[in-house]
Amino acid sequence: MNHTYQIITAFMGSLGFSILFNIKGRKLGYAAFGGMLAWVIYLLGGLWLSGEMMQYFISSIIVTFYSEICARIEKTPATTFLTAAIIPLVPGRALYYTMSYAIDGKFGEFAEYGSYTVSIAVAIAAGIMVASSLSRVFFALRSYEFRHHSM
Amino acid sequence: MLTKELLSYILDIGELMLVNGAEVNRVEDSISRICKAYDAKRVDVFTITSSIVVSIQLKSGNTLTQTRRILSYSTDLDKLDRLNNLSHYVCSHTPEAEYIRNEIEKIRIRRKYGAVVQYLVYGMIAGTFTIFYGGDVNDAAVSAAIGMILKLAITFIQRVDKNVFFVNILCSFVVGMLGFLLVRIGIGHSFEMIAIGNIMLLIPGLALTNSIRDIISGDTIAGLLRLCEAILVASSISFGFGLVSVFIGGMFK
Repeated sequence: MNHTYQIITAFMGSLGFSILFNIKGRKLGYAAFGGMLAWVIYLLGGLWLSGEMMQYFISSIIVTFYSEICARIEKTPATTFLTAAIIPLVPGRALYYTMSYAIDGKFGEFAEYGSYTVSIAVAIAAGIMVASSLSRVFFALRSYEFRHHSM
Repeated sequence: MLTKELLSYILDIGELMLVNGAEVNRVEDSISRICKAYDAKRVDVFTITSSIVVSIQLKSGNTLTQTRRILSYSTDLDKLDRLNNLSHYVCSHTPEAEYIRNEIEKIRIRRKYGAVVQYLVYGMIAGTFTIFYGGDVNDAAVSAAIGMILKLAITFIQRVDKNVFFVNILCSFVVGMLGFLLVRIGIGHSFEMIAIGNIMLLIPGLALTNSIRDIISGDTIAGLLRLCEAILVASSISFGFGLVSVFIGGMFK
């Protein structure tokens, strides 16, 4: 039940940020759905994957592919969808805890949470990079084939 | 033919892209593509988050150099989308400078969503993330209300001083105080959940992720700058919350 709420709120949260980032029209729907997808994949990953970082990594890979596909449909940069869709994964809460430990002078917890936060960010960033490089290769190949056939 | 005027418009496109949330990579790529399309012999673009430098060698042997300093950003993906289309169009049609200027002007005046929508969205985001991280309905309602007040505070404080550090300290202080009071009165249940819902509106989680993305993709300097900014913003937010705990004493474990 908790997960259902999370999935719904992930959708709404991404929708909210899409509006703040001034995404317009049909793209709003794509972006918000991307946010929901990100969290669904993250939760599903919990069933099969070992380790939280793997969940973040896989989820951001799939969301990046999703954004690249939407970008091709809507003829707009993939960043448009990715920025909003990645929001539920982003380590906002962990970053907040890290900093509040630093302020309280609890340096043991600070180091622990800090490295946790950075690893989440690295996992997400690496996922994005892997997926966007792969999709660049994939779409380059496809347009190459297309040109070949049409000639 | 590349003139000073034209180069300045090309830089306008690059500057607006960067301001509205494009990656450094995309800005450099767009500028050098456009310059190449106008028959530059050699193009050198260097972009970091706070500046763009372009130097082009013309076929005639002359060199043109221009720079831009970027002072503030606000992510606007609608504008970014249009700028991207414009840069594609310019690459393939190489229009007159006048045309580019008009198009940039058209993009510049595009509006964001209205004030009412913005307030509602702030409330919605704060409320939804409170539930997302495990708060109950009461917390979400309180959090949504504080979210709207937060938007008011941001608008007001930014009118006085635009310094990011200052704005964030005050805003998180407002959030912390209100959250504490409303929990004390008994409307909200968990201070932590209310704070975290609102924190999502302020905290640079996205900036942190993007900075690491820049570093991995090879724009090390831009990435490091963004990383520093993210850490600065995050610490200013926690200073704000620290101030709250000074006022009320022993809120944090």
